[in-house]
This record gives sequence, C-alpha cells and structure tokens, in this order.
Amino acid sequence: MIPALGLLVGLTIGLLVDPAVPVWIQPYLPIAVIAALDAVFGAVRAVLDGIFNDKVFVVSFLSNVIVAAFIVFLGDQLGVGSQLSTGVVVVLGVRIFSNVASIRRHLFRA
Amino acid sequence: MSTPSSPRRPDASMTLLTSMLERPLDPGYQQAADRRAAAGLPAATPTRTAMVIAMMVVTGFLFAVGAQALRPRPTAAASVKGELVARIEAIQTQGQSQEAAIAGLRKEVSELEALALRQAGAADLTDTIKELEIQAGFTPMKGSGLTLTVGDAADSESDADAGSRPSGGFDSGRVTSSDLQIIVNGLWGVGAEAIAINGHRLTSTAAIRFAGQAIIVDFRPITPPYVITALGDAARMQQLFEPSFAGVYLSQLEEQFGITTDLTAGDALTVPADSLTRLTSAKPIDARATASTVPSLGGTSAPAGTEPNDQPKDEPDAGSREAPSATVTETSDGSSLTRDASDPGPTEDATP
Repeated sequence: MIPALGLLVGLTIGLLVDPAVPVWIQPYLPIAVIAALDAVFGAVRAVLDGIFNDKVFVVSFLSNVIVAAFIVFLGDQLGVGSQLSTGVVVVLGVRIFSNVASIRRHLFRA
Repeated sequence: MSTPSSPRRPDASMTLLTSMLERPLDPGYQQAADRRAAAGLPAATPTRTAMVIAMMVVTGFLFAVGAQALRPRPTAAASVKGELVARIEAIQTQGQSQEAAIAGLRKEVSELEALALRQAGAADLTDTIKELEIQAGFTPMKGSGLTLTVGDAADSESDADAGSRPSGGFDSGRVTSSDLQIIVNGLWGVGAEAIAINGHRLTSTAAIRFAGQAIIVDFRPITPPYVITALGDAARMQQLFEPSFAGVYLSQLEEQFGITTDLTAGDALTVPADSLTRLTSAKPIDARATASTVPSLGGTSAPAGTEPNDQPKDEPDAGSREAPSATVTETSDGSSLTRDASDPGPTEDATP
C-alpha cells in the first residue's frame, strides 16, 4: 500500500512540476516508461509469489530503463531506431502481459 | 536453459522466444529468494523499504513526465487551424461578393458602351462586338447543339488491351487529355460555335492538358464523365461528326477500350461564359478606318459622366490605355473594339 502511495506522490509531483523535458531525451522517454512498467509489474508479481527483493527490484528497474534507452540510442545512431524501438516495445509488452496474467491468477484465481 | 543431461527440447532453436514467453519474471528474484532462504531469512523482503518507496516515487514521476511531454498538444494546432479556416472562409466570402460586384459593374459598362455607340451613330459596331464576343467566349450562349458524354471504361483496371494504346502510363480505359483534344477539334471542325467541357467554356486561350492523372481545362481540373456541349446546327454537326476523324477515333475508343460515349442532340443547351477573361492587349483603332467615328465617340463618351471612374472604358481615341476590366477583341483588319469581359446579361442564340 505504501509503495502505491509513493507512486501517487510521484505522479502528483510530476503533474504539478511539469518539468520541461530536453528534446534529446524525448525519443527515449516512451521506451523508458515501458521499461519501468515492466519492472513494476515484475515486482508486483514477485510480491505475490512471495519472492520480492527490493535490491533486485531497484537494479532491474534501473537496468531495464537504461538498457532500453541505450538500445534506442544505438538504433538511432545506426539508422534503425524505429525498428529497434519496436523490438523493445514488443519484448517488454510480452513480458508485461505475462506478468499481468500471473498477477491476475494470483488475485482472482482465474 | 536446458542442461546437458536433459533431452534437447524440440524448440531449442527458439530459446530467446521461449525464455521471453515462459519466464517473464526476472530470474534474479528467484535467485535472491533462494539465497535468503539458505541464510535462514524469509524469502521475501518487505515492500516498505525506503528504496522501494523512492523507486515508486521515481516511477510515478517518470509516468507523469512521459505522459505530459509526449502527449500531442491539440490545443495549439487546433486553434491555428481554426484560425486559418476562418480566414479562408472570410476571404472566400469576400471574393464572392467582389465577383458579384465585378459582374454588376461589367454589365453597367457594357450598357454604357452600347449607349455611347448608339449616340455616336456607330450602332453597327454593337453587332460586330456581339459577334466577336461570341467567338471569344465572353457571353453565355444557348441554343441547339450536341452533347457528347465521354467516360472512363467501367473495368478500366482490368483491361486486357492495356499497353496496346500509347497512353503514357495511363490505364488504357481512361479518357486522356489528347482524346478530349481530338474530340473538341473535331467538333470545331464540323461547325460548332461554342464548346464547353463540364461547364467550362473553351476559348482561344483555353488549353486541354493533363496533370498527373487529372485532365485540366483552362487550368481548372475536371473529373469524368466529361460532358462536352457544342452549340451549332445539331443535325448537320451530327451528320458530319460521325464520319470525321474525331468521330471514327471516338468509336474506336469505344470498341477497343470500352470508353463510354454518348452523343445526343439538344434544342436548349447552354454554354456559360468564360469567367476568366481579362484584358491582355489593347490597340488603337486604325486611323483610316475610324476617321469619322473617333471624334464623335470621344465627344459622346466625355459627357457621359455617369460612368464610374474606376471602370474606365477603352475609348478608341484613348490610345493604348489599358482597362483591367475591359477586353479588347481584334478584328481581322486590325481595328479593335472594347468590350466588357463577361456579361451575364445578354444571351446570344447560337443557331443561325
């Protein structure tokens, strides 16, 4: 419950502050958001599986975001940025779906 | 993934996909839990540690920033677009009212011109002017004539003869600009006095061209079916047109490429005036031809002070003074007459 409150606090801060995002970061923002979603859903599933570990969560979160952004950056340099972005989104999307399905089984037994 | 002892999985060549689909959870969680269990601690750490909460705050911040930074801003674009639409509509309305004003002023000019000519005793010039106007396409006309409707073939996509016609990349079942040129020239050749395509009057300066796949008549794009209205002696034109080159060409288009054609005669056909006529050149009347009319014309038009100043008429003695709203038509002997460009009022009967 407290982590969910933390999420709400972060959302509120972001909405209130509304920081100007530098243009050079903007291509990586959507990928970073999806990577963060993946880490969060993975953490929720781990909590429900009873194997949550805060260090693993933080490390996987940061590495997910950084690697995803780096892949997009590399793709931009190689001229295949949009294709690599699509690949990252597909992989992370599949993982998010699988984790959400597992969470659903935990919560609803269905 | 598979240990050497276990039998090789049939999908071993797809380990990437398998691991992605079957192990969506980071394996690190399981390893950490195993380590903690081995050390005698509970498998899971509490979720209320400062690190987790800080991470969640960061996540929420990231979501909010991402949503705000990446959401398209519809308000700015929409307001600019709405402003542009309003501006376009206002200018269109203004243009329409000005067109109406131009038509009214042109009618006034032509009436004053006819009056001036009558007062000058040069009423015969009025007939010449009218005849020249018909030839130049300045007046709408109505009368008997032919209506020729030409349309693309119904199955122009799947024409078996595609390629046999030099259509320059066009589908051979489509009407091209050169088809229309041949047909229109054929109609002129059999005595048409005025021709319009889809309501656009053809004048001596109107060209039938193509741009991309569209046919352009006098710089205005038209779409099929192409309705060609030709005024003249309907029976004679029909009799002459069908065996002419254009008529044979048209029937071959119909037979070989499936282009639809329909030629009918009518008694009350109308051809509009060319709305885009404007003065392009002016020339003083020959001195010998107008020795008597020039002074009298100048004399009578001078007291006609009702003429608005912003609508100057080209008086024959005014040299080459150019009037933007007047148009000069030249006769073959070099004398010139001024005439208002498009007069919607009088309608000439084209039938002899």
